[in-house]
Amino acid sequence: QDFNKKNLANKAVIDQRRRLLDEWKAWRESVEERMEEEPGYKTADQKEEDGGEVIE
Amino acid sequence: MRPVLLSGHERALTQVKYSSDGDLIFTVAKDQIPSVWFSANGERLGSYSGHVGAVWTVDVNPDTTLLATGAADNTMRLWNVKTGKLLKTWEFESSIKRVEFSPDGRQLLGVTERRQNVLPSIMVFDIIPDVDAEQSSEHALRIICDESKATVAGFSYNAKYIIAGHEDGTVTQYDGKTGEYIDNIQAHEEEMQVTDLQWSPDRTYFITSSKDKSAKLITTDDLEVLKTYVTDTPLNSAAIFPVKDYVILGGGQAAMDVTTTSARQGKFEARFYHKIFEDEIGRVRGHFGPLNYVAVDPTGKSYASGGEDGYVRLHHFDRTFFDFMYEVEREAATGRL
Repeated sequence: QDFNKKNLANKAVIDQRRRLLDEWKAWRESVEERMEEEPGYKTADQKEEDGGEVIE
Repeated sequence: MRPVLLSGHERALTQVKYSSDGDLIFTVAKDQIPSVWFSANGERLGSYSGHVGAVWTVDVNPDTTLLATGAADNTMRLWNVKTGKLLKTWEFESSIKRVEFSPDGRQLLGVTERRQNVLPSIMVFDIIPDVDAEQSSEHALRIICDESKATVAGFSYNAKYIIAGHEDGTVTQYDGKTGEYIDNIQAHEEEMQVTDLQWSPDRTYFITSSKDKSAKLITTDDLEVLKTYVTDTPLNSAAIFPVKDYVILGGGQAAMDVTTTSARQGKFEARFYHKIFEDEIGRVRGHFGPLNYVAVDPTGKSYASGGEDGYVRLHHFDRTFFDFMYEVEREAATGRL
């Protein structure tokens, strides 16, 4: 019985983390979309394509 | 994690900053002499002499040519990073508690302290990113913080906003161009000072730490509190990792542990939390006094903490640190392949 309880608790934790991770990703996507309108803003991916944050 | 001790300061550390490529670490302390070190091995490269009071704050511009400092001698100063030469001194009527360059390095802000008959403020100066240029003595912007003095402040992405943390636990958003007040939230407990504000790499969100024993992750545009990290000790500093979803918090109760100087390792800890899940992952002990500042290498290779004990502890991460993933993170990562 204890074992079952523990498994249920673990599942609850994992479900919660999965939800938080999805929520975070959705928020980041919405920010990156909105930021495209900002002059000069580059997403992390774009920076990578440019060969990192090159300064000069 | 292999710790390197940067010993050279004679008094409590106040702020620690990495250069944008992570090669150099700039440190300031109550001993008046800002220093620069190689992050790879902790070797001291040089220092910047001129301040005649405790140095509270430091920042370096994006191309690592100009260093800004603020001190208890009521001056904000600009230095040539490479030569150590003093380039400019701005004088005020009170201490400078925080300095920060805008993301493009063309503006510099200084947070001034409250004093009798002197209102606390955030002063903004235009900066010419050239070590040979004559910098302006006149401020471009002055924001008076008459409700509650600002303790920390910085520029958002594109310097669109200036965000400040205050003595009363609130966080304010100002227009970056006009200085106009836009919004204010009670981010931390009332009358619990905001002690630090550090940005995410793209400055669309930031983290604040407070004496209320918590740190908060807040959005730049809406000042929405996304995450709360709860600890059991007053916090002095908080930083966001660039390559992993972690945050690192530093603080400590000053009076606890006064007799540990004989011990090989102090009991004051840097605390790691998962940025998204808000739970504590681990602690790194070592300091003999509260951690006054924590900074993360923008390339993610190391972190540094500055302590009340006068030491900077520099930790390079092991491979296992980067490989570690929560079950659901691994699941999401493999799902993408």
